[in-house]
Amino acid sequence: MPVPVLKQGGVLIASIQAALTDRDLLQLEADLAEKVGRFRARGVIIDVTALDVLDSFATRTLRGIAATARLRGATAVVVGIQPYVAMALVQLGLTLEGVATALDLEEGLELLRSSAAARGP
Amino acid sequence: MVEPLPRLPFRVTEFAPSDIERRLEFVNLKPEDHKRIGAVKAEVLDHLDEHVSAFFDHLAQFEEAWGIVGRRDLIEEAKRLKREHLVAMVAGDYGRQYMDQRFRLGQLYSRASLEVSIFMGGFHGLMASIGRRITNRFADDPLTGFEHFTSFKKIAFFDIAIIVDAMMADREQTIRQQQEAIRELSTPTLQMRDRLLILPIIGMLDTRRAKQLTDELLHAIRAHRAKVVVMDVTGVATVDSKVADHLIQTIDAAALMGATVIVTGISAAVAQSLVTLGVDLGRLTTLGDLQGGIEEAERILAVRHGRRSSDAA
Repeated sequence: MPVPVLKQGGVLIASIQAALTDRDLLQLEADLAEKVGRFRARGVIIDVTALDVLDSFATRTLRGIAATARLRGATAVVVGIQPYVAMALVQLGLTLEGVATALDLEEGLELLRSSAAARGP
Repeated sequence: MVEPLPRLPFRVTEFAPSDIERRLEFVNLKPEDHKRIGAVKAEVLDHLDEHVSAFFDHLAQFEEAWGIVGRRDLIEEAKRLKREHLVAMVAGDYGRQYMDQRFRLGQLYSRASLEVSIFMGGFHGLMASIGRRITNRFADDPLTGFEHFTSFKKIAFFDIAIIVDAMMADREQTIRQQQEAIRELSTPTLQMRDRLLILPIIGMLDTRRAKQLTDELLHAIRAHRAKVVVMDVTGVATVDSKVADHLIQTIDAAALMGATVIVTGISAAVAQSLVTLGVDLGRLTTLGDLQGGIEEAERILAVRHGRRSSDAA
């Protein structure tokens, strides 16, 4: 199931609703990379609240999305990692280095706002 | 080859019929034993009260047994069960129902906080009383008398094992319940103000408690939408490497949920042992005491800047 990407001001929001196959993830990565440029987005939020599993491929793809977004001039934030998912990631040694994380969508937007403010108008 | 020890039964309903047979094999009960026990029936049944008294009079001498002999309701019930016990002992049917009755007797002793050591003394008194009757009957043939008494003793030892198991199972259940109660009390997560949680940890930190703490903390972060958590370990005397690793994993997991954890109050001894253990503390934000931790937390909250996990690493 492909992930819908919504545009809210200068922020793209990808809200993952169900477990994703590796192909869906790659599709999302390509989709976001393209849309960041098309919509001149400054921020990307990936909401994983609905996911109860994040495997090594998923974390690698999230790191990839963050790195791609950075190269295209946007900041990516992963929001909504569930408590047990967070603990599982840490225990499996899967890191999200280089990826900003926030509690939920609201926090993610706040984080993007404040980092944009820090960069200046 | 050594037989694996039978698992300690928690309720008598958990006994399989094969367990009962196995237990009878353990005491080496043979068909001729059944016959001999049948032959001394009268020695037990005709003097029931005498035998029951031998048991309880023995207990009455010790203040440690007042939990049972000092309570009218319990002692009546215990005497009734003991009489029933003796009748069943010579009835020859040692099945599920028989075990169930012995098990209930053991539970009653345990509830009355009767120690195993006193119970054993009382049981010995009871056996002596029965043994005396049997020896009297075979006064002219002591060897046969001894054989009959030995057969009877096999059932007695079978019973003791069940009763002691019941007493221990009851005690274990109490311990389990208390552990449960302690666990529920042990780690409160306090909201100090908006977005700031305080997690005071007091007492022993073992792996199990550390796991529970992780669970509670991560869920509390979500529930209170916390941005900063101050974990105060002033009350923790020792930390082993496993627990330390687990705490660090918890802190990393909290970071994935967008929260910063500040650890405060690491005592000199804990600090030294963590360094000696070589635990990687690079990612830890630590401050001397709770006050310092709260000040730092308020600074982070005031700045309210976005924080990347890469910046923290």
